[in-house]
Amino acid sequence: MTESEICDRLKAALPDAVEEFESQLLDPAIRVKPARLVEACRFLRDDPSTRMHYLRLVTGVDRLPAGETPGRIEMVYHLWSYEKRHGIVLRVHLDRDNPVADTVCGVWPVANWGEREAFDLLGVTFTGHPDLKRIMMPVDWVGHPLRKDYQRPDRYHGLPTNRTAVLEQGRVQVATAEHVAKAEPVSGYMQLNMGPHHPATHGVINFLIETDGEVLRRAIPDVGYLHRGIEKISEMVGYLGTMPYTDRVDYLGAMFTNHGWALAVEKLCNIEVPRRAEFCRVIASELNRIASHQIATGALAMDLGAFTPFLHWIREREKINDIMERICGARLTYNYMRFGGVSRDIDQVTIDEIRRWLDHYEPMMLEFDRLISGNEIFIRRLANVAVIDPDDAIAYGLVGPNLRGSGLAWDVRRDEPYSIYNEFEWDVITGTGVHGVVGDAFDRYDCRLREIRESVRILRQACERIPEGEVRTKTARIKPAANEVYTRVEGPRGECGFFVVSDGTDKPYRSRFRTGSFTAMTIIEHLSPGLMIADLVALIGSLDVLAPEIDR
Amino acid sequence: MTENLSGLEVSRQCPTGGDAAPFVVTTRVDDLVNWFRESSIWYLLFATACCGIELMQTGGPRTDLDRFGAVFRSTPRQSDLLIVAGTITYKMADRVRLLYAQMASPKYVLAMGSCANCGGLFQPSYSVVPGVDAIVPVDIYLPGCPPRPEALNEAILRLQDLMKGEHWASRRKHQ
Repeated sequence: MTESEICDRLKAALPDAVEEFESQLLDPAIRVKPARLVEACRFLRDDPSTRMHYLRLVTGVDRLPAGETPGRIEMVYHLWSYEKRHGIVLRVHLDRDNPVADTVCGVWPVANWGEREAFDLLGVTFTGHPDLKRIMMPVDWVGHPLRKDYQRPDRYHGLPTNRTAVLEQGRVQVATAEHVAKAEPVSGYMQLNMGPHHPATHGVINFLIETDGEVLRRAIPDVGYLHRGIEKISEMVGYLGTMPYTDRVDYLGAMFTNHGWALAVEKLCNIEVPRRAEFCRVIASELNRIASHQIATGALAMDLGAFTPFLHWIREREKINDIMERICGARLTYNYMRFGGVSRDIDQVTIDEIRRWLDHYEPMMLEFDRLISGNEIFIRRLANVAVIDPDDAIAYGLVGPNLRGSGLAWDVRRDEPYSIYNEFEWDVITGTGVHGVVGDAFDRYDCRLREIRESVRILRQACERIPEGEVRTKTARIKPAANEVYTRVEGPRGECGFFVVSDGTDKPYRSRFRTGSFTAMTIIEHLSPGLMIADLVALIGSLDVLAPEIDR
Repeated sequence: MTENLSGLEVSRQCPTGGDAAPFVVTTRVDDLVNWFRESSIWYLLFATACCGIELMQTGGPRTDLDRFGAVFRSTPRQSDLLIVAGTITYKMADRVRLLYAQMASPKYVLAMGSCANCGGLFQPSYSVVPGVDAIVPVDIYLPGCPPRPEALNEAILRLQDLMKGEHWASRRKHQ
């Protein structure tokens, strides 16, 4: 169904709920009355003609008062149906001074964290929300940073907030630890902080766990320890200036965040990408995917006590880093994509080197399999652990290998094609329940490992078929007209989406990065009751969550 | 007869006179203690952001920090060196203080990468501490975004130089 058909369907069912159909936007949106939001959401989810079971993104935009128009907060909901392959954007306008909306947690559980983020950063209150508190900023933070008129404080707990003040006050000679918050004890169960510094949490993520002996009663993820405010910074530094920041959103898959950001701006400004540049993008991206999946599978094995496989992958990753350095000059934070192409060409020497490396690498995958994939202890630690069934996976917004591990064959590269991926021969990998049931932790591990092989297939074809030509379209100054766009790419941690609001200036009015890890974290609290503490490590590792991707 | 053994000033004397073994090795307490310390830098695996990946690569087979006796530890109680590898936010700041307080003396701090040095790319942000030296005392600043493994390797060697100059009884390293 097209967006206007969906709107007609909604109008027919709930005539007084729809305020306006905004068809002029790149992603047409239906504006609904705040009071009827939940009803409309429930209808779009359950109606047999729409069946939008996947809430892709929930976020807010702060609109300052302009002339006659009063200020408002817009809440934006991106819905998608895997079944019908269509989507729609819902939008509600809230009063800027007292923004209150009904929660849609009851419709899609994944909305929980998205709404908490809107509460934290924009100050929107959600009635009926089960756990409405700050998610990114410390609990005693004052103000809502993503508001347009936000002023950052001079100090927080005596800490200066700019470098000049640090230098003026002098470097710290003696460290003290006095502000450390203590967890409130809960009677009857042991409460522990697992993190934010913990070797198995893959970065700075905290888990408040309540245990009964070795068995978890529940594990509550506590994030925001690496919230760097990249979305706010993007409003200051402009479109091209944001490119290096997208590297740091997902440092294991920087090529994908680069690509997503480039796609968003190209769509806003209608920029064509030359064919050779598309090949360069695919080659660089797939190399990056291999490197990222290596860390994911290697770190999972390391978390479960097998250190050797990790070292093998680190060794191989160094070689990918060498190639990446030839391609774009950086080992980790690539900053490779430009609007309308890539920053530099991949020369023939590098392509030959990639081919040689692939010849060397394919036997290495077998070696890795021999090392760990068939290991009895490893299999028992993962098989039948933390099983996610497909319905839950969709409701909690899992994407990428986590979704495919549950048996749902959905890959943005194939199903919502971008770049030139539909020209290559490769397969979408799904979990098959190799050693247990479909959707267990081993399936997610297995998906990643087999996806590396698919990336190798794509790389071989791309290296074979890369055409001659330009790698970058000449672009004028990036200054898109007022519009809104949402683009997605398939990153190593699944759908990596970029929601950009432009207002006719050379800086984005609002940008929101939809990342796979952020939604993957929401399912942990749901899955944790009854798991052993050690299984929690397997669950986190198999979801491949990455702190900066959660916090941004 | 004196010679230089692994940077340690060592003089060998035979108590019975002449050149025959057994030798008695005499040196200064400082040199001996520092030799032990610099050859067993156990660093805390404290990877907060991007630099953490380069920290892992540095511990990996190519750069191989183990050559210098530097191995990673998961707990601060066993660590001599806090490598702050990545951005520190206000929410994280107190945890860094706590980690530092848990380490055994003498302890050292290496600020790895621009974020830890001064906030780096994230200076305009509302949530990032502009330099970890506002929280804990820093011994070595390592520039880069992120620094290459070779650079981190060099920083560890510089730290060894720093350790060589320590006096064994000094409580330079606070609490």
